[in-house]
Amino acid sequence: MAEPSTAVRSFDREALPHLDALYRVALRLTADPTQAEDLVQDTMLKAYRSWQQYRPGTNAKGWLLTILRNTFINDYRRKKLEPIAMDLEAAEPHAIFRAVELDDPEGTFFSRIVDEKVTQAVDALPPDFREVLVLSDIEGMRYAEIAEAIGVPVGTVKSRLFRARRLLQAALYAHAVEMGYIQPREK
Amino acid sequence: MPDPIDCREAKARLEDYLQRELTPELEAEMQAHIERCRHCFQFARFEENFFAMLETRATRECCPDALRRRILDLLRAEAGRG
Repeated sequence: MAEPSTAVRSFDREALPHLDALYRVALRLTADPTQAEDLVQDTMLKAYRSWQQYRPGTNAKGWLLTILRNTFINDYRRKKLEPIAMDLEAAEPHAIFRAVELDDPEGTFFSRIVDEKVTQAVDALPPDFREVLVLSDIEGMRYAEIAEAIGVPVGTVKSRLFRARRLLQAALYAHAVEMGYIQPREK
Repeated sequence: MPDPIDCREAKARLEDYLQRELTPELEAEMQAHIERCRHCFQFARFEENFFAMLETRATRECCPDALRRRILDLLRAEAGRG
């Protein structure tokens, strides 16, 4: 049995620590645990095969997430249109802040919402918005990295993020009202 | 020194500021504004809590052990082939 080669060891060291992040993003993109597992596996195999293209010491997580995202678009994205249950016009930057600023100006209601509801609300975002929100606000990729990964200008990433955050805040606020975590003010 | 930006601009830039995506100059302008504007300071706290919640609450799922093992086996097989 041969010793693992240098390439194998550097892949293990730089890529394997990001398996959790890859799995989470796969879950958000596919909304299906079985598909998410297949997507992560395909991604890791592709990444391993093109490991010589990765520049050591650069951002391995961003590099891997880019492969995952492109594999998803090319091989997994279901063709059916996903229903959009959200009001795309509800885009005033501080609408939700204004709704709570007298009773809960710091937004402590956010922390009362259970994890599962948070991820469900993310999963309910329209795909283009969900993708940028997951990569930026959950996994910490830079705007410029995301723009490169998905092939759009940085301005597009920013406008999608803006919409995604408004929709998510509105959905979480609606849930918090429904659960009684916060009382809506009479208009 | 007069406030370089108004509340409308500050609100528009706030999320980029919190995500550390502004240039050092714009970041300094935002900081100066937030320090003197109570309302924008409060809005910044709200947005900060939103981002912090998202970062902690949506990153708890882990790669299942069985998948991790399957991937390691695949990679070893691949290395053996290459």
